[in-house]
Amino acid sequence: MTSRRGFLKAGGLALFGIGLSGGMPSFLADAVAGTTTPALFKKRKIMVCIFQRGAMDGLMAVTPFTDQYLKAARPSIFMSAAQGGKNKPLIDLDGKFGLHPSMTAFEPMFREKRMAIVHGIGSPNNTRSHFDAQDFMESGTPFKKGTASGWLNRAVGLLGHDAATPFQGVSLTTSLPRSFYGDHPAVAINNLADFNIQLKGNQAGANLASKSFEDLYDQTSSGLLKNTGKESFDAIKMLQKTDTKNYKPEYNAVYPNTALGNSLKQIAQLIKMDVGMEVAFTESGGWDTHFNQGTDTGIFARNVNDLSNSMMAFWTDMGKYQDEVTVMTMTEFGRTVAQNGTGGTDHGRASCNFILGNSVNGGLVHGVVNPLVKENLEDGRDLAVTTDFRAVFSEVADKHLGISNDQVLFPDWQGKQIGVMK
Amino acid sequence: MRKIRSFYISIFAFSLALVFSSFVRVSNDREKFNLPYKQAGLTPQQAAAHLLSRFTYGAKPGDVADVLKIGLEKWLNQQFEGNLKDDDLTAKLKVFDAINLSNTEVENLYPRNAQLVRFAVRDGAVHKDSVNGKAYRNLLAAYMKEKGYRPQQDLYRQFINQKILRATYTNNQFRELMTDFWFNHFNVALSKNQCASYVPAYERDVIRPNVFGSFENLVLSTAKSPAMLMYLDNFTSSGTNVPMSLPDDMMMGNAKNAANPQQKKARAAALQKMQANKKKNAKSGLNENYAREVMELHTMGVDGGYTQSDVTQAARILTGWTLAPMGDNGYGAPIKKMIENIGEANLAKRGFVREGDFMFVPNRHDNGEKTVLGKKFPAGGGYEEGVTLLKMLAHHKATAQFISGKIATRFVSDHPPKSLIDQMAKTFTNSKGDIAAVLTAMVNSPEFWSTNALREKTKSPFELAISAVRSLDAKINQPYQLYTWINKMGQQMYYYQAPTGFPDRGQYWINTGSLLNRMNFGLALASQKIPGISFNLAAMNNNHEPESAEAALKIYSKLLMPERKLEETIARLKPMLNDPNLENKVMQAAEKTAPPMQMNTMANEDANIMDDAEKMKKGKKALANANPTQKAGTVNMLSQVVGVIIGSPEFQRK
Repeated sequence: MTSRRGFLKAGGLALFGIGLSGGMPSFLADAVAGTTTPALFKKRKIMVCIFQRGAMDGLMAVTPFTDQYLKAARPSIFMSAAQGGKNKPLIDLDGKFGLHPSMTAFEPMFREKRMAIVHGIGSPNNTRSHFDAQDFMESGTPFKKGTASGWLNRAVGLLGHDAATPFQGVSLTTSLPRSFYGDHPAVAINNLADFNIQLKGNQAGANLASKSFEDLYDQTSSGLLKNTGKESFDAIKMLQKTDTKNYKPEYNAVYPNTALGNSLKQIAQLIKMDVGMEVAFTESGGWDTHFNQGTDTGIFARNVNDLSNSMMAFWTDMGKYQDEVTVMTMTEFGRTVAQNGTGGTDHGRASCNFILGNSVNGGLVHGVVNPLVKENLEDGRDLAVTTDFRAVFSEVADKHLGISNDQVLFPDWQGKQIGVMK
Repeated sequence: MRKIRSFYISIFAFSLALVFSSFVRVSNDREKFNLPYKQAGLTPQQAAAHLLSRFTYGAKPGDVADVLKIGLEKWLNQQFEGNLKDDDLTAKLKVFDAINLSNTEVENLYPRNAQLVRFAVRDGAVHKDSVNGKAYRNLLAAYMKEKGYRPQQDLYRQFINQKILRATYTNNQFRELMTDFWFNHFNVALSKNQCASYVPAYERDVIRPNVFGSFENLVLSTAKSPAMLMYLDNFTSSGTNVPMSLPDDMMMGNAKNAANPQQKKARAAALQKMQANKKKNAKSGLNENYAREVMELHTMGVDGGYTQSDVTQAARILTGWTLAPMGDNGYGAPIKKMIENIGEANLAKRGFVREGDFMFVPNRHDNGEKTVLGKKFPAGGGYEEGVTLLKMLAHHKATAQFISGKIATRFVSDHPPKSLIDQMAKTFTNSKGDIAAVLTAMVNSPEFWSTNALREKTKSPFELAISAVRSLDAKINQPYQLYTWINKMGQQMYYYQAPTGFPDRGQYWINTGSLLNRMNFGLALASQKIPGISFNLAAMNNNHEPESAEAALKIYSKLLMPERKLEETIARLKPMLNDPNLENKVMQAAEKTAPPMQMNTMANEDANIMDDAEKMKKGKKALANANPTQKAGTVNMLSQVVGVIIGSPEFQRK
C-alpha cells in the first residue's frame, strides 16, 4: 500500500506550479486524481497517547478504598481516604474510588468533568510478559504477534485526508514505537532542536552542506529519496520558523523537568506551530514496581506525580487549543491485588487509564471493578479485565479523530464502546 | 616397510583426489555461475560493482579491481562458500570475551536484573526493604563484584560491537549479509527480556553456520533454539498427555463404550487425570504464537493457504518443545526436578529428547491425533511429529514462493518481478530448499542484472553506516558509536519488537527524520566527529593533495562510489565549492572547535571510558603533531566534500 503523500507547503498553488513545469511526481498525481486533496492542516483534532511502560498498579493509582479485601491483601501499602491516618488521604472521587494523593493535579480536571478514568481495563490475552503485552496493545491485535503495523499507524491511515505534512504522526521517542510501525508516514523525534542539518561546532559547514543536500536530493532519480528529501527540508524550514530551543509555555504552565514533561512540552510546541500533527505518542517508564512501591511517598508516588503534573502542564499550556486535544494514557497490564514479599506488586491483569479532553465523558470512573474477593479475581490473584482496551482506544479515536473503521483499526475486535466520550 | 610405502601411496592418491576434486569444483563453479551481465549491457567493471553492492556491505577502495582480478565467478564462489581466512577480524574480536560463551555460561555470568536483586536479597547482601536509592546500588554493585556477575548490558554491548566489526572487516561478506538476512527473517529481539540472553548464541550457532545450507535446517534449528522458544513463547506451551497404554478410543475422548468394569475404572482414572492436568495447565496451556508465526512469517507466508485450525493443530504438535534446564540461574527449575526424579538415564526411554539446550518433554506434549494442511498426524507421534511438521512446512509450495520472494526483495529490488520469483521458487523446490542453489538461480537471472535492479535498493541504516566506514577504509575503535548513529537513523538493531523483522523496503527506511540523520551522519563521520572512528582521507588518494576543490570532489566521489554515473551529483555540488567564502568559512569554523580526534591508541572500544577532559587533551596533542604543511582549511574542505557525498542520495542506494 502506498500511502505516502507529498508535503506541500503552499497548498494548491504549488501543486499547479509543479504540474505546469512538466513531469508531475506520481504521488502528487495520485492526490490530484483521488477524491481527497492535500489540504491545509489547520483545525485538526489531535490525539496524544502516553504509554506507561512497565505496568502501572491501577489499584494504587485509583484505589477502590472501601474494599476490605484489598486492604487485607496490602497490609503495608494500602492507603485510605480518611483524614488523619498514617498516610496522606486519597482524593475521594465518588465515595468508592480514591485518587493517589500525589495526583492532586488531576482532581480539578476530574471535578470539571474533563477527565475520565476507566478501571478494569486491559487485554483479553492473559500474558503477564511486559514484552508480549506491550506488543499486543501496540499492534492492537492481542492474539496475533505477526501483525506488522501498529494501531496508531493504522489510525493515521484512517484519518481520511491527505495531510500535507511530514508531521501527521509524531513520536517523541528516540526510535519509532511499535504503535507507529507501518506503511503510513510517522516520525520519531527525540528533540525538536536536533531536527536540522548539524555539524557540531561548525555552523558554517552545516549551512553549506544543507544547501548542497537540498540541491542533491532535488535532482535524484529516486522518487522516494527526492520526495522525502523535499519533505525533510520543508520540515526543517517549518520548525525554524519558531525558536524551538527557547520555547516559553503559556498560561503559567510549568512542565516537570522529566523525560515525560519534556516530551509533552515538545508535543505542545508542535501543536502550536500548526505543523499538521494529528496523532502524537510518548512514553513514561518506571512502573514495574516489584520492590518498595511506597505509599504517599516513594517510587510510585513520584511516578504518578510526574504523570499528573506533566499532563496538567500540557493541558494548561494548550489554552485555546484545548478543544482540539485529547490525551489518553495506557499501560500493558496491572499488578497483583496482593503485595509481594518486597513491598511491591507483581505482574497482574487489569489496570486503569486516564483520558483528558473537553469532549471526554469526564468526572466518572468507567468500567467495572467487582469486590476483590478471591473468586472475583483472574486466576485467583489479579484484578479482572472487564473492559477490553480496544473498546476505549477505538472510542477515543472514533469520537475525537473521526475514525470509524474499527475493522481496520482493530481487526478481529467486535466489542462495544463504553461511553468514555461524549 | 611395505606398510609404510602403501601408507605413502594412499596419501599420494588421496592428495591427487583432492587436487582433482578441486579442479572439478572449479569447473563446476564456471558452470554454476553464468552471469548474464553483458546481455544487460554492463561492462565487467560495472558488473563487479553491482555484485559488490549487493553481496557485500559496500565496496572498499580497490575492491572492484580485486574482484575483476579474481574473476567474477570465482569471487562469487568464494563468497558463496564463505570460508575465506579472517585472521584480521579474529584478532579484532579478541577483546570481546563474552561473545563465544554458551547459553549456560551466559546465564551464570549475566543474571537478569530482577534475578540479581532476588539473589542479592537471598544472600543477605541487600535488605529486601531497601532495594532503592544510591546506597542500595552501591551494595548491589559490590555484591556483583563479589559474585563475579556482570551487568547484562555488557553482554549486549559486546554482541553489538562484534557485529559491527564483523560486517566491516570480514572477508566473508556475503555470509555476514546472509546472517543478517536470516536473523531478520527468523527475528528475535533483545527487548524481550526472557530471550535476550540467548540472542548472541542464536546468531552465532543457529543462524551464521546455516545461511547457505538447506532451508529445512534453518527452520528446525530456529524452532529448537532457546531464543526462539522464548521469543515466541513455545517454551511454555503444553497440552494434555493421555497415557498411551489406554485403548485408542480413549484418546479421542470416547469413554462411553467401555466394556468391562476394570477398563471402565482405568478410563475413569485416566479421564480424571486429564481433567486435573487441564486445570493445572490452565495457566500456561496451549500457546499458538510460534505455530502461527512459523507458518505466517517463517515458511508459507500470510497468504500461504493455511487456516486457523491448522495453526491450532500445529501448536498442539509442538507442545512440549522447550528449553533444557541450564546453568544455576537459568530457566527450567521444574524440568530440572523432573529430570532428577526420572533419572537422566531413563529420559530417552520415556520419550524425552535432549539436544543441546533444546528439550522435548513428553509429559507436556499433547499426544492426541492432529491434522495439519490435510496431513494426519496419528496419536502418540511424540517429538518426531514436530520434526515431520516443520519439514513439511519448510518444503511446502507456498514456502518456496514466499522465501524466494523475500530473498529477491533483499538482493534484487523492492518489487522483484514475478518471473524471477517463479524461477527461484522452482529451484527451491527442485533442490529441496537448497539456499545456495536459490541464490545461484537469482544471480544467473537476467532480472538480477537489469537496469530496473541496478542501484534500486536503499541501504538500511546499518548498511549505510558500514558501507561508509568501508569506503573510507576506516579504523573502528569504538563500534558502539556507530550503533548509536544507526539507531538514530531508524534501525535499532536487535531490538525490532515484532517477529516480522525490519521491513526490507526503502519506504520503511526513508522518512523525514531518518533522512536528515543520514545526512548528519555523513557530515559527522567525514569530519571525524564520531569518536573512535578514524581514517586518512589523503591516504585514500595515495597522499596526493587534490589540486582544487573541484578535483577533490571528482576524485573522492569516484573513490566512494565506484562505477556510478556521477556527473549530475558533481554538477550539483559545484556551487558549494565555488562559494568564494568556502575556505574562509570552514577555516573560521574549524578554529572555533576542537580538531578531529585521533584515538587509534585506545585499546578499549567503549565510548564511555575516556572522559571529555582527556579527549580534549588528546585532541590538542593531535593538533600539535599534525603535519604543518597540511592546511587545516584543505582538510576541512575535503571532509566537507566527503560528508556531503556520504549523505547524498546516490550513496543511500546500493
